[in-house]
Amino acid sequence: MIFYITTIILLLLLAPILLSFIKSLKMLLLFKRPAPLLQGYKNFAKLMQKETIVSQETSSITTYAPFLVLSPLLVTMFFLPPIVHGAFYVSFVDAFTITGLISLSTFFLMLLGLDSASAFGGIGSSREAFISALVEPAMVLTVFSVSMMAGDLGIGQAGVNLAEHFPKEHMASFLFAGISFFILLVAENGRIPVDNPETHLELTMVHEAMILDLSGVYLAIIETAASVKFVIFASLFVSLFIPVGLEYSAPIAILIFIAKLFGVAIAVAILEVNTAKLRLFKVPNLLGISIVFAFLSLITFYVLGA
Amino acid sequence: MLELLLFPAFIIFGLSFIKSDKAKRLLAFVSFLILIPTVKLISLPKPFHLFKDYLVVDDLNAYILFVSSIVGIGVTLALMTLDKHVKVSKNAYRRFYRFFAIFWIGLIFSILSNNMGIYWIGLELATLSTVYMIKTNHSTAAYKEAWNYMIVGAIAISLILFGIILIYASAKPILGEDAMNFNLLLAHAKEIKSSFLFELGFATVSVGMFVKMGFFPMNLWLANIERASFYPVAALFSGILESAIIIGFFRFSKIAMEINYDHLFTFVFIYTILTIFIVSFLIYRAKDFMRLFSLSGIEHMALIALFWVSGGTFAALLHFGAHAFLKPALFLSTGVLESNGKYKIAGALKGYKGKKGTIFWFLVSLFLLAIISLPPSPMFFSEIYGFGAMIKVAKSGDNLLSMMAAILILLILLSVIFYKFVEVYQSMKYEGKVYEKKVYVTELFSLIIFGISLIILITSPVMNYLRGIS
Amino acid sequence: MVDFFIGLFLASLITALFTTRLYRLLVWYSFNSLTLGVLALLIGIKIDDNAMLITGIATIVIKAIAIPYFLKSFSQKFHFIRQIQPNIKIQYAIILIPAILVFTFYLAKPITHMIANNSNYVAISISSLFLSLLLMMEHKNVAPKITGFLSMENSLFLLGITATNGMPMLVELGIFFDLLMAIVVINLLFRREEMKNA
Repeated sequence: MIFYITTIILLLLLAPILLSFIKSLKMLLLFKRPAPLLQGYKNFAKLMQKETIVSQETSSITTYAPFLVLSPLLVTMFFLPPIVHGAFYVSFVDAFTITGLISLSTFFLMLLGLDSASAFGGIGSSREAFISALVEPAMVLTVFSVSMMAGDLGIGQAGVNLAEHFPKEHMASFLFAGISFFILLVAENGRIPVDNPETHLELTMVHEAMILDLSGVYLAIIETAASVKFVIFASLFVSLFIPVGLEYSAPIAILIFIAKLFGVAIAVAILEVNTAKLRLFKVPNLLGISIVFAFLSLITFYVLGA
Repeated sequence: MLELLLFPAFIIFGLSFIKSDKAKRLLAFVSFLILIPTVKLISLPKPFHLFKDYLVVDDLNAYILFVSSIVGIGVTLALMTLDKHVKVSKNAYRRFYRFFAIFWIGLIFSILSNNMGIYWIGLELATLSTVYMIKTNHSTAAYKEAWNYMIVGAIAISLILFGIILIYASAKPILGEDAMNFNLLLAHAKEIKSSFLFELGFATVSVGMFVKMGFFPMNLWLANIERASFYPVAALFSGILESAIIIGFFRFSKIAMEINYDHLFTFVFIYTILTIFIVSFLIYRAKDFMRLFSLSGIEHMALIALFWVSGGTFAALLHFGAHAFLKPALFLSTGVLESNGKYKIAGALKGYKGKKGTIFWFLVSLFLLAIISLPPSPMFFSEIYGFGAMIKVAKSGDNLLSMMAAILILLILLSVIFYKFVEVYQSMKYEGKVYEKKVYVTELFSLIIFGISLIILITSPVMNYLRGIS
Repeated sequence: MVDFFIGLFLASLITALFTTRLYRLLVWYSFNSLTLGVLALLIGIKIDDNAMLITGIATIVIKAIAIPYFLKSFSQKFHFIRQIQPNIKIQYAIILIPAILVFTFYLAKPITHMIANNSNYVAISISSLFLSLLLMMEHKNVAPKITGFLSMENSLFLLGITATNGMPMLVELGIFFDLLMAIVVINLLFRREEMKNA
């Protein structure tokens, strides 16, 4: 139980750091002076002190939507696969639940965007709906296919099974699922080929457009939610697709886990530096690839058993 | 012996780099050399191992190579006066010969091979070199069709390779690395365990070959290509390249006969009847010579394939020989008939004056009537024998009635083609206006070569030789 | 490990199907050939077959490095259109590609029982054959069509090395020779076109 709690706290603490890490790594790669790693915390502290202004056009949704954005993600954190051998984990939560919780959070985010009644909120929400409609089937298929390979529908159990005996004979379908999931990770967290989190350019904004009207505490919560979402995806990715290191003793296993998370962050940062943002109507191409791979992974597993 | 076979091709290849006018004439005469080694091959004791087990000469491929070399000579002869009929640059001429040399090398390998892999390599080499030959015509259509041919040919060829790999996979457990060897495969065909794999491979191979020969459903691409390219290229296509494909079909289907005769027969039967059905109506609608002849080429290839799988080896080979001589001759004379870029059929045979002209129109009429198998033509005999073989097959199964019906349908379809050709002939001879037209000695000479070869084909020694091929 | 590379092979082919840039397509083709070469090397080491090792190295040198390089230089020399939009809309492709895969996987099911080792790979190479055909079909331009032809060759090669544990050496070298010949012919075809335009 202690490891269970520790893991969740660790992930929560790591969440802002990971995003700041990606940012500073990108700046480093672009020969800029990198931002400090604790920038996420600094932003959080600053936003907490700031005054919270709510537009008069909004309804009561704006006041509680930020909490509803964050809370499903926080719940999801309890269902993640364990990172230490023998730790407590929730074994019965399957692909549909996780996807559902994440899209619940997205739903409230979209509602928040619409509620401010500004033009930006509207486009942001509609784009987000467009993207997440494509992300969800792929996500369900991918996670489902991996859990099939692991021999258990529950994600926590699947992570454990994968770590204990890795399905070498299903390497091909495993690879397809991995590719698909990585694309989802990029798309769902608004990273560069899909959305650029750093600009406020109306042509490209998705995530930023929805939260343009927020300030103060609400903004802090939404930013936290974004980082938590990234850490959820990253930890799902590493525990499902890079299932190594669980067999060591607790401190080493945790260190390995953190290293893997940073590895994912490095991969995302390198991808962001090397690719241009896609036009919004090209995004389905990318997600289409993801869906095809997810499906491919499933049928390769079922039909060929490879 | 192999060096002797390849030697003329290398000479042509080398000479094609010389930039003088004399080289052109020289090249045509050098290409006569390709006949000598092939004659030698026929007289050799069979089977003759040309290059280990990879290239083995037997009666079948010696005959086919011989026919091809005569066609090659006829085509190169007609090529000498190509520039009198169409616009062609000197560069294109030399390129044509250069690729003809490569084509010939590929052809020798594919026809004489006793190995599926070598067969494929030769076929691919021949195909790729013909792609460039199409391009010697500097028109937009030819450019487009060259690419088309590249793509369709590549697909067809890849299908063939795909099938070859499947066949190899099916036979590898019993034969090891030798599973590529045609003769061994034929000898051990009964032992192949996974016959499904073999049959799938065979089906893929034959679909690839059928696509390449323009069978259903890819009927028109060959006609388009032959329309767009110069007429010698069309002659090479129908006379030589198709022979390389059909020999592959002969070899593969022989093995397939051992595995499961009924499947093979049904498959080829349905495919060819469907092809002839569609082609006969396409022929009925054809508006120019090239398309007419190239579509009729498809029809004849379908007949050859049908005769072969019915067990009418002799009929198929006779038909093959007759077609290989007749079709290039017709294509070459098309070049003369259409010499001023006019596609008109009406009155095409009129206006040939003088001794040369008279011989020319007489020969063309003979060829035209021979291709629709009027009696003295070898095609008449081969079709009789072929239909006989089909009935014999049906007798041994018990579906004589359906076979009779199928033959009846075939005859109706053939009579549609017959009608169209007679109509074309009448229109050529009796309609339209009279223009002064010219014909050159070399072309006439090549037509005469084809005519003589046709006559030789129905002499008894050749017939006996063909009967001897099992 | 072989499974992993075969997955990469199919994955790079599928990604190539969605590509809209010529150079990216060439990169994917090169990657595809690279995985093929590595596969040949791996299987060659496993069954201790020197011929397979040679073909693996030849694949990497010729198909993964030389041919993409040549094609790129052609595209610079003859000014190809580098934006290659597939004819098949992405929505349909998303449905079509899995349909093809399912179809071919089931098509290959009876075969997989007949081949003793690496039986799954037959299915994958057949499906990649179909996908390469799709790659040829979905583009109007010539350059992606050529790439499709070349990747078709790749998938046949995959079938060769997995279903039969390699064809005889002579045949494989001949296939390589033909491939180079194809490149020469392609070059010539383009060259004439340019002369006419000039």
